[in-house]
Amino acid sequence: MKIGFIGLGIMGRPMALNLLKGGHSVTVWARRAESMQPLLDAGASGAANPTQAAQGNELVISMVADSPDVAEIMRGVAAAGQPGLVAVDMSTIAPAAARQIGVDLAAAGVDFMDAPVSGGEVGAIAGTLSIMAGGSDAAFAVAKPAFECMGKNIVHVGASGAGQVTKAANQIVTGMGVLAVAEAFAFAAKNGVDRSKVREALLGGFAYSKILENHGQRMLDRNFKPGFKSWMHEKDLNIVMQTAHELGLCLPGSAATAQMFNAMVGSGMGEEDSIAVLKLLENLSGQA
Amino acid sequence: MKVGFIGLGAMGRPMALHLHKAGHELFVWARRPAVVGDLPATVCATPAELGQQCAVVFTVVTSSADVENIALGKDGLIDGMAPGSVLVDCSTIAPETARLIAAKLAEKNIAMLDAPVSGGVQGAIDGTLAIMAGGLPETIEMVRPLLECLGQRIVHIGPNGAGQVAKACNQMIMVAAIQAAAEAMRLAAASGVDCAKVRQALAGGSAASRVLDVMGERMVQRNFSAGIEARLHHKDYGLVLEAARKSGAFMPLTATVAQQLNALMAQGMGRADTSSLLRVLEGK
Repeated sequence: MKIGFIGLGIMGRPMALNLLKGGHSVTVWARRAESMQPLLDAGASGAANPTQAAQGNELVISMVADSPDVAEIMRGVAAAGQPGLVAVDMSTIAPAAARQIGVDLAAAGVDFMDAPVSGGEVGAIAGTLSIMAGGSDAAFAVAKPAFECMGKNIVHVGASGAGQVTKAANQIVTGMGVLAVAEAFAFAAKNGVDRSKVREALLGGFAYSKILENHGQRMLDRNFKPGFKSWMHEKDLNIVMQTAHELGLCLPGSAATAQMFNAMVGSGMGEEDSIAVLKLLENLSGQA
Repeated sequence: MKVGFIGLGAMGRPMALHLHKAGHELFVWARRPAVVGDLPATVCATPAELGQQCAVVFTVVTSSADVENIALGKDGLIDGMAPGSVLVDCSTIAPETARLIAAKLAEKNIAMLDAPVSGGVQGAIDGTLAIMAGGLPETIEMVRPLLECLGQRIVHIGPNGAGQVAKACNQMIMVAAIQAAAEAMRLAAASGVDCAKVRQALAGGSAASRVLDVMGERMVQRNFSAGIEARLHHKDYGLVLEAARKSGAFMPLTATVAQQLNALMAQGMGRADTSSLLRVLEGK
């Protein structure tokens, strides 16, 4: 399939590489020209702008940071004047923003799908991302072969925006999950109990989770390199909290967690992995 | 002086009347002209037209977007106000919106104050509002006689936006205090103790506060008709948490209170008084 790919950061680059490996013909564009080079070396064509990245393709995919970026890129995609084109945004943005972009693109005859991912850089490189898609059945059918090159657990959740709602729900669970493991470890340490033993014991019971297993181990190793940067988790929880505010939805746990990540960014830990929330807890309780 | 006034709601109307009583000539614009009613004022067709007539213009509206539209939008104040004139925005909006509007107006040599107020409808009627102003000192001095018609405590906080930051702080403390009063009333009732007596006893001690006085009384009387519509506090908490996010300030209590406000909105109490936070705790 002929695919345009826009946004070649930590996530986008390996995702685009996996499309090439899957035998697709890929045209790439990124704001910084140097990020395009590894893809050009691997056999992709380069475009001069998002419009060009869409032209002549069946599918165009974006993977960038925030709602305004996606909106701007998709305006460029719409300008390609290619009715029947399927555009898939795999960034994490607000559900309301995704729905609006879907409406705007429909006017240009472009079928838009929101399909954010979970699984991080490791999942992007291995091609094992979880992909949660929102949009039409027709768009999902077109995008599915591309999704299968990038991910394993691929779910068409529902209509436009449903993918982003799912991703927001994912960030609630992972955000609180990381905080829960960090608090359990702070609790064990303050009680003079070996936290690695606590982790080992808990892994066999109902508190088992992938976060306890993977993030928990990194906390024990005090390896705070990202992974998933805490400023990004803060951004994602802000999407959750703004949506909750707009809807009139009471999310006390998410609110408390969002403030912890906010404090991390405010105290200069934004570039560290979100598991560095452990350090914030230790500081608050004089365990540093 | 010829004074413009936009936003004739529960707060704006009594404020405009004070300016009239002090001998100023009022010019008003309203989205729905019917709200002008019997107010002794000249009605203008657009904010721009109002701006042409007035040396000082007051705005008291609801949202950041409202103020931005009135000031900078089509037929906005910026198209009518003369160089050297002053916009005094008494609305509660985002500090960064206040800064943006001030910067745009400054390009045309129009001065602006963000001057949000505290004291509620009663304070507006009594002319006893607390006014927290952001802007240049000389701008404040220029309009001080007008501000003195509206309130007794006028504090120059700092440059543009600083008034809105102060108002955000005010809202944080006030609504958190309402939540605290509600939880105290809830604990008393759930323990089979007379709420009225608890409130009365507390009013004489270290927990005494205006909120416990006024909102606590409403809770005891179960009189939840507004006062201050809770939806406005809900709106303000959106601004406060956005400011927290922009500055990276850790605000765990504010975040929790915001969720109780979300629950209040979800339960359809947005137009009732914020003392309804008690009803959220009661689950009825």
